[in-house]
Amino acid sequence: MADELRELFKYRYLLSQLVVRDIKVRYRNSLLGFFWSLANPLLQVATITVVIKYVMQMDIPNYSAYLLVGYLPWMFFQMALLDSSQVVLAHRDLLRKVYFPREVLPLSVVAANLVHYLLAMVVFFAYLLFYRFFMHGAPIGISALWLPVLMALQTALVIGLAFFISCLNVFYEDVKYLLTVLLNVFFYLTPVMYPAELVYKKLSNMHSLWLYKVYMLVPMNALTDAYRKTLLPPIRALTIKGTPVTSQPLDYGTLAVAGAVCILVAAAGYAFFNARKSVFAERL
Amino acid sequence: MDYAISLDKVSKSFDLIREKHLSLKSALLSLRRVRAQRVLGLNEITLAVRHGETLAIVGKNGSGKSTLLRIIGRVYRPSSGTVEVRGRMSTMLALAAGFHPELTGRENINFNGAIMGLSAADMRDKIHKIIDFSELNDFIDSPVKTYSDGMLMRLGFSIAVETDPDILLIDEVLAVGDAEFQEKCYDRIDAFKQAGRTIVFVTHDLDAARKVASRTVWMTAGQICADGDTMQVIDQYLHSLAQVHEPAQEGIAKIDSGGG
Repeated sequence: MADELRELFKYRYLLSQLVVRDIKVRYRNSLLGFFWSLANPLLQVATITVVIKYVMQMDIPNYSAYLLVGYLPWMFFQMALLDSSQVVLAHRDLLRKVYFPREVLPLSVVAANLVHYLLAMVVFFAYLLFYRFFMHGAPIGISALWLPVLMALQTALVIGLAFFISCLNVFYEDVKYLLTVLLNVFFYLTPVMYPAELVYKKLSNMHSLWLYKVYMLVPMNALTDAYRKTLLPPIRALTIKGTPVTSQPLDYGTLAVAGAVCILVAAAGYAFFNARKSVFAERL
Repeated sequence: MDYAISLDKVSKSFDLIREKHLSLKSALLSLRRVRAQRVLGLNEITLAVRHGETLAIVGKNGSGKSTLLRIIGRVYRPSSGTVEVRGRMSTMLALAAGFHPELTGRENINFNGAIMGLSAADMRDKIHKIIDFSELNDFIDSPVKTYSDGMLMRLGFSIAVETDPDILLIDEVLAVGDAEFQEKCYDRIDAFKQAGRTIVFVTHDLDAARKVASRTVWMTAGQICADGDTMQVIDQYLHSLAQVHEPAQEGIAKIDSGGG
């Protein structure tokens, strides 16, 4: 393990080259470059906002901000995992010819997607400031300082899952189809389009609060909730069938457990990948 | 004795699975493990290459030449036996593997250096020598999709030798380009040898082997059939090719009709 980490460090220039190459190739021939990667989430958020506010007529003030703050991390999660399912196959010629630590491949797609995510977050903050000063929106609180911690935990989670997925896809090629389906399902199960309070309310009405605890053990659920609560003020005027739903403060205990799960997934993924990487060249 | 490369009783067997990629369904549903046919690619190879030696590996297709090179290059892990390599190793990459068509020559040089385990600082030192040797100064900032095959090979050769590895592994292509550039390649390989660097190359080009290799290994069916002075081993190899010429022709014809 120590040897493997040392070798990975030695090949850090390869990792940076893979990331740079990924980003350059993606945008070299497109005039709008980075804006293409933003266009998709922005259009998606605009569409969902219109549907929720004007078609379904749920009146949540500043809904698009609450949606974006969950949607951008979700995009990072989804894009990085989808890319990781293809990354080993895409470098098959190279793998069969030359040795390099195979770990750099999943790490490079996570890093490239993290770059997109960071740029998207810059745009998100610009949007928040615009609302603050021109539309009398809410200020950005001191709790926004949690953002780097949340991003680090999410990146650990994504790295761990990317190790599992990129490795499994070498052996079973339908992993990518399964992944697409699962990501679709989990998009609706994760509190991206709605606040976690609604899940809490529903489950407490059913006297199954233990289930809410289980729900929050899924790292993306806890992280999405934490992103929203640290970056934006509590949601006002949230109601179900006329009864108001009180917003919950961020539960740091839950977040700590989810953070531990993220790190555990990262370590397990790394070990899983390393135990199988030596046969990639023969299996491709 | 200080060896650059030493292999001790190295064997390599492969699973021959009809479909290389299994589906999850077949993996989950089949109670038995998928029965894989084991094929022995290398059979107890023992080989030691000294620092400064240039070794050619010859043999027919399927004799295990490339498998041996990949074992040395750490692409494959041996099924049994031990491999020891002392020094920084790099592999001369064939066209498709190492270059990205959308990126410029310069960007591809950096990427290839990175694959060989070099750092950003190393590449800053070496990139000028690589570009100079390749004689591609005028095209180095154009995407390599605009390059001819000859230009790509020149770039590949330049990266391999000018990154100055202790051990250079080459599969098939040794000297590239037009006659003039080929001479330059051979001169560079000579200088490389003089500097005490080790070269291992797999080739069908026996003239190239005669020209640069001090020692040749002839592989048959995953084993070393002969190992020694290049001229002698190549003579033996040619002799055996001439002897089995007739039966081999029949064999090929049979396979062809069977396959069609």
